[in-house]
Amino acid sequence: MKKLIVYALTGVISLAIGYWVQQQFFSDRAPVQPINFSHKIHAGVNKIPCQYCHIYAERSRVSGVPNVQRCMGCHKIIKTDSPEIQKVTAYWEKKEPIPWTKVHNLPDYVYFPHKRHVRAGVECTNCHGDVPNMDRITKVSSLQMGWCLTCHTQRNVKNGRDCWTCHK
Amino acid sequence: MAGIFDKVKDTLNSYRTPGYFKKLDHKWTMVVDLDMCNGCGACVAGCYAENNLPVVGKEDCGKSRAFSWLRIERYVDGEYPDVKVKFIPVMCQHCMKAPCEIGCPVYATYHNQDGLNVQVYNRCVGTFTCATYCTYDVRRFNWFSYKWPKPLDQQLNPDVTVREMGVMEKCTFCIQRITAAKDKAKDEGRGVKDGEVLPACCQSCPTNALVFGDLQDPESRVAKMVNNPRKYRLLEELNTDPSVIYLKRVMNDGKSEE
Repeated sequence: MKKLIVYALTGVISLAIGYWVQQQFFSDRAPVQPINFSHKIHAGVNKIPCQYCHIYAERSRVSGVPNVQRCMGCHKIIKTDSPEIQKVTAYWEKKEPIPWTKVHNLPDYVYFPHKRHVRAGVECTNCHGDVPNMDRITKVSSLQMGWCLTCHTQRNVKNGRDCWTCHK
Repeated sequence: MAGIFDKVKDTLNSYRTPGYFKKLDHKWTMVVDLDMCNGCGACVAGCYAENNLPVVGKEDCGKSRAFSWLRIERYVDGEYPDVKVKFIPVMCQHCMKAPCEIGCPVYATYHNQDGLNVQVYNRCVGTFTCATYCTYDVRRFNWFSYKWPKPLDQQLNPDVTVREMGVMEKCTFCIQRITAAKDKAKDEGRGVKDGEVLPACCQSCPTNALVFGDLQDPESRVAKMVNNPRKYRLLEELNTDPSVIYLKRVMNDGKSEE
């Protein structure tokens, strides 16, 4: 009997550890990025608006990953001695983009304009979660069709339930 | 009890009947002036480029797996030297009473608020019913997942899905361009202007034989052209109520011919 409990406990604990490791380091929801960039420091503590870096959100379909020049605009001066910033500088000197891993990835057949949603007054945090308090970006919403349609129905979007409004 | 069943049945039937929308947002219409069409095939090439259509090759074309959403039908009358050639570009007619919509078991093809007959690729299970029911033979089936060889995959249109095997597809009146135009109009707080939406075939036509517009807008070019006495529609007697309107070709001897 004692043996059985020990086996069961070991199994449960190792499952829990495995799940935690998977969630932290190998899941699509919160992948490890090439640079340990913290949204908490930028958007949370220093209160930089989202659209200072993601400049295309209001005028394009994609919100846009900021280019390295935008990072260097501040980090030529700020915190240049940090090892993470030196990685950015290395990319800047190599003239290479930073190979970020995409977290909020929609399938190819979805037509999702950021512009329409931002201009309709949808907050960024509505879909992306509480980014100002996230150290590493985690996907909060499921980004499934039912999740989209819930909001479209609640807000009574014109033609919001028509297939070809969101599919292409 | 029977009353409730009848009511449900009536509601379902009203959804099943094509054109159940009381009022459409737009009524997109294409007018093809056959007098101006010289059969050059630029519209076909434009369609291939815009909508990510695969080129299947000669052998598959022989097995009637050709993939043109828009085809040019050629009619040759008489013997050389007294020969008359006529061309008719045939694309999806976007029938208001479409036979294909009635056939689909999974409701993958339906009429949307713009008066377009649209196909939902994700819903389609490939029963081929719509293609069988189609009066104009314009529906195309993906027999394989077609691949684009290496440099050519760079020319794929990002606004259009690349369809997979087992999915039916057809002309969409370049719905991605309609969406883009509506998007732009909404930003500027106005309606879609005439001539703002330009499908790939109309854009590439060198003689402007194809004209696209909103029939509900009385000022549009299309609304003015449909009053032409040369107007006819393909297989009108079948009562499919197509949205594509043809203008008859007038031959040299003064006779107009379909």
